[in-house]
Amino acid sequence: MPNAILVPVTNSPASLEALTAACIVGKQRKAKVYVVHIIEVLRSLPLNAGMEAEARRGEQVLRKAAEVAQHAGYQVSGELLQAREAGSAIVDEARDRGVDMIIMGVGYQRMIGSVQMGKTADFVMRNAACQVWLVRPALDLEGGHAEGSH
Amino acid sequence: MKILIMGCGRLGARLAGTLDAQGHDVTVLDINQSAFRRLPEGFRGRRAVGNGMDGPALERAGIQDVEAFFAVTQGDNRNYFASQLAREVYGVKRVLCRIYDPVREQIFREMGLETFSPTSIGAQIMADMLLKGGPAAAGR
Amino acid sequence: MYVIVAGGGKVGFYLAQELLQANHEVLVIERDASRSAAVAEELGDNVMNGDSCEATTLDSAGIARADLVCAVTGDDEDNLVVCDIARQRGVPRTVARINNPRNELLFKKRGIETTISATTAVLAQIEQELPTTDMIPLLQLHSGLEIVEIKLPETSPIAGRSVREVLLPPESLISLVVDPGGVPRIPSGDTRLNPGDALVVVTRRECVNLLREAVIGSTHGLDT
Repeated sequence: MPNAILVPVTNSPASLEALTAACIVGKQRKAKVYVVHIIEVLRSLPLNAGMEAEARRGEQVLRKAAEVAQHAGYQVSGELLQAREAGSAIVDEARDRGVDMIIMGVGYQRMIGSVQMGKTADFVMRNAACQVWLVRPALDLEGGHAEGSH
Repeated sequence: MKILIMGCGRLGARLAGTLDAQGHDVTVLDINQSAFRRLPEGFRGRRAVGNGMDGPALERAGIQDVEAFFAVTQGDNRNYFASQLAREVYGVKRVLCRIYDPVREQIFREMGLETFSPTSIGAQIMADMLLKGGPAAAGR
Repeated sequence: MYVIVAGGGKVGFYLAQELLQANHEVLVIERDASRSAAVAEELGDNVMNGDSCEATTLDSAGIARADLVCAVTGDDEDNLVVCDIARQRGVPRTVARINNPRNELLFKKRGIETTISATTAVLAQIEQELPTTDMIPLLQLHSGLEIVEIKLPETSPIAGRSVREVLLPPESLISLVVDPGGVPRIPSGDTRLNPGDALVVVTRRECVNLLREAVIGSTHGLDT
């Protein structure tokens, strides 16, 4: 039974659905829900570089996330993090905060002949010690593109 | 002219044959003795077995006395290394170097090496064949 | 300092580990995907899978802001290419591991510092320019002895004492004391050691850490 759930969010519908799911689970089990938005910093910049535009967009994502959580009847506070790779940042964050569950939305890319999960979700699946739930939106089999997360 | 060619692949062997036919004093160096089978019949130059990344092997092949050095093995980095060795350590006047990777080739050229990239030249020629009409336009 | 380490073999891995412990920003670039993943398990996201001989890889590694590039792959030609591209991209300092000692001359002519494979040697070379480190390995002697320079910090447990009163590890000898004004003295038993003095000490290689503890007091900094 989780005491705390980590939800990494982006501006994708999938990650907002993941947040809704996290709120429902969290409410049921009386668990804390942490929301983080990770800004990936290119190596050409130092890790603590001022990323104003990305930070502004990140704040918007977090506000949106707070609204979604509110709608699901839950209070969450989000945080912005700068990291080289979202995947390892999520895994580290989960460990540092001692959460027992990560719930995240996954994007997918359809290339000819295959469907691929984003590399962030892939990394988290392989490396997170805690439970991981993935939320994937319905596939649009008519050929359109679903919006991915990372 | 005294010339040393490192690498007896298709390009190296062809180059050796051409220069030999024009009367130059050519030595071909390759790590593999079997590579010399690619040399044309009647090739009069010398064949040396050894690793061109190694000073003593280059010296045995006579690098101290050559006026030109070609680095045409399959490895870009090996070619670069041997070229710098020829230039910096042995003071060879003309050093010509094949680099497949066009990005690296440009950098090495900016650093003062005479380089040539069959990739970018080949791409240009093929595009010209299509757009400017026929292989003749590409100057075969 | 931002250090790019080309090659995630043993040398590259230990080098990176030491540099990270000393709080430098480090990125290891390793060409082999599975080796790269193995190194990443230890070093987290301070690892990148790619060919460090490719300028595009180095550019995405942020080479333009690197203070130091260490090329420590097992191939001298690759190390030369990495260092020369780094130079061309404006990196002020490059260090290459050379696997064939005969290649030293070429690297020197290209303005690249060289070292013969051992991690400690690479570190020693870098450390000589790190202002944060109090102990600098100067020379390794074949007999298993090592000569190091130690700057006495304010907090040194031996500050204010005379050489006679100081307890050092076995076979360690303070051979020279350089005061903050740069004046060298060969110490006698009565010579007093003051903060800011630089001591040149001969010690056994395995006693380096003990020596550091005795003179500096804590075990922070790089292990050698």
